[in-house]
Amino acid sequence: MFIHNFIYSFKTLFKNKALIFWTFAFPIILGTFFNMAFSNIENSEKLNIIQIAIIDNEEFKNNEILKKSFEELSNESNEERMFNTQYVTEEKAKELLENDEIVGYLKVEDEEPNIIVKESGINETIFKYIVEEINATSQIVEDIAKSEIEKQIMAGNVNLDYEKLYENIIEEVQNQEVNLNNISNSNLSYTMIEFYTLIAMACLYGGIFGMVAINQNLANMSSKGKRVAVAPISKLKLVFSSVFASYLIALIGLALLFIYTIFVLKVDYGNNLPLIILLGITGSLAGLSMGLVVGTVFKTNENTKTGILIAVTMFGCFLSGMMGITMKYIVDKNVPILNKINPANMITDGFYSLYYYDTLDRFYFNLGSLLVFSCIMILVSYISLRRQKYDSI
Amino acid sequence: MTVFKTFFKIVNKYKFTILLYTVMLIIFAGFNMQTSDNSMSFVASKPDVLIANNDENRKLTNNLVNYIESNCNIIDIEDTEEARNDALFYRDVNYIIYIPENYSRDFLDGLNPEIEIKSTGNGESSYAEMMLTRYIKIANIYQKETQNEEELIDKINNALLNEVQIEVTSKLDTDNLSRATFYYNFLNYIILAGCVYLICLILSSFREEKIRKRTIISSMNYKKHNRQLLLSNAILTIILWIFYVILSFILIGDIMFGKHGVILIINSFIFSICSLTIAFLIGNLINNKKAINGIINVVGLGSSFLCGAFVPIEWLPDNILKIAHILPSYWYIQTNEMVKTLETINLQTLKPILTNMGILLIFSILFIIITNIITKKRRKIA
Repeated sequence: MFIHNFIYSFKTLFKNKALIFWTFAFPIILGTFFNMAFSNIENSEKLNIIQIAIIDNEEFKNNEILKKSFEELSNESNEERMFNTQYVTEEKAKELLENDEIVGYLKVEDEEPNIIVKESGINETIFKYIVEEINATSQIVEDIAKSEIEKQIMAGNVNLDYEKLYENIIEEVQNQEVNLNNISNSNLSYTMIEFYTLIAMACLYGGIFGMVAINQNLANMSSKGKRVAVAPISKLKLVFSSVFASYLIALIGLALLFIYTIFVLKVDYGNNLPLIILLGITGSLAGLSMGLVVGTVFKTNENTKTGILIAVTMFGCFLSGMMGITMKYIVDKNVPILNKINPANMITDGFYSLYYYDTLDRFYFNLGSLLVFSCIMILVSYISLRRQKYDSI
Repeated sequence: MTVFKTFFKIVNKYKFTILLYTVMLIIFAGFNMQTSDNSMSFVASKPDVLIANNDENRKLTNNLVNYIESNCNIIDIEDTEEARNDALFYRDVNYIIYIPENYSRDFLDGLNPEIEIKSTGNGESSYAEMMLTRYIKIANIYQKETQNEEELIDKINNALLNEVQIEVTSKLDTDNLSRATFYYNFLNYIILAGCVYLICLILSSFREEKIRKRTIISSMNYKKHNRQLLLSNAILTIILWIFYVILSFILIGDIMFGKHGVILIINSFIFSICSLTIAFLIGNLINNKKAINGIINVVGLGSSFLCGAFVPIEWLPDNILKIAHILPSYWYIQTNEMVKTLETINLQTLKPILTNMGILLIFSILFIIITNIITKKRRKIA
């Protein structure tokens, strides 16, 4: 009987087109959209070469340090190239600025460099900062040269080669070694969170299968349920085989989504494959158990039950960052309890900890939370499902 | 009147759907719209930086911290490494500086101690690194000159004191304009997913076989029936459009009363009309209510993602934007984006905007023609 009911539950669920669309196709379509929209975000945040212009007047030409520095910073073979500089007249620079072809231009007037930009922004700020730095450097050079010359004269050395002295100082100032050590993790791609919430959504959507399967065994929900209710068969076996069939279908959908995101969208889940699979299976179980609770506890029609499941899932995904990654961080930071009981976040955070952290404590905490969540849900549905009697339907 | 009454009876049934999408619009629009003082003078960007100082109460270290603090936003979070890592991952912090123990002492001894950093690698973190590098370079230079801590600090600060004159040419209220643009871009999704969905559902209620048969044998002329249906749809669209425009006045405020606001409003009106024709097309094409739900979601989310309603258009890859040209949303959002940088308003600058609006109207006509062809073929019920 177990196998018989299992096979037929499996078949009926699989033939429900709307259900298959929402659980199988929709996450894949959404993932494709995510990929299209987010694939470039992180690249555009990086510091690109800044487009600037410099007014090519006499004063600029005479300012050796500014001229040399911008030549160096705009040099295409320089690895630390910052700018793409055009040397133009003032009218041309204004025109370029107006057409957004440059972020700003530099004009040296009365020995003071002036910067003209269109608006405030990070590129404009960096442009300003670098001009300031060049300016400051020339002052430092002056300063050191002065004290050096004083020293030399005090030592009785009168025949100084000033040019050589300056060159040495400039070289020394520029070649100061800065001892920085970047210890950040290389897995810093935060758009991955979007795909993790997608997996979480797919896991929880899988609960709809569980809910539909339960409905088919409830006498007050479907005619099939009435027939089943009067049949002299162990109800536990029936319910268990239907639920098992829906779990299997949910897992198939999830596996498809994983394959698609890994091989087509190139989502990075970290390197621990067994744990990724374990988390997927547990997440799907949590979704299923949620579906069971909605199926058994709420006494309404199937459409409302689906609505409840979708609403809960989407709200959970919203809190775990699907509609804006910062949301997850805000909730994690300010109302951590909300995300500790949110199954969508447990799944998302589990993948996040596998991807970003080297240690597994946080991962196991999430996995454990999912198991506890599932157990509670299954217990609740078990209690509300057992010993049901109907006087009239 | 019968059609009209029935129509709004059904609308009333779906009022929660409208409410849901409206709440969504308010949440997202509000979320992205923290007000900021707009100023016409230059405001330097400040990267979000966190300093983990293990060498406290040393003058030299404090001086470094002060310099970073005055040029960056210092983010204050829980004092655990996990909280710091999370903050870095979610870009709450762009750059973390770990000042090692005994930094000041080792530095004064000329050891050039190593500073550990964590960086997101984006533009702001590069800027923060420039500051740190510059400071250390200057400190290194003067460290060779003097071993006296006070004197060294004085010299460093003197060298850092350098301000270049900067002038801002744009007189636009960029901040508020971007907020308005964000709202109207997001409206793309709300109109497509909310209004179009609603209209499709109502149309499909009218097209249910039994009801359709009843309408056909009734004494009402089918032309009159269709005209009333079209009219009530148009009224619904306009009501919702007015509602969202009023909402934008409340949420965004002042800027909506200006010329830029007027263009945004006209543009959204044309897009609403275009959406109405899309709704007619889908509603006439598909009768199954469950299928409509799926199709609208894919169309709504698809055009919103591809055309830049959610993600700013300048962050989208070029090839995606090329595909987006075939969607009406692209032209709608493109106009919104143009308004953001529109400085002078005259016929010359308005030309590309009018072209975009024209394209939207052509789309609408196209959808109407397709709908007519389809309905003509399907009028007979076997």
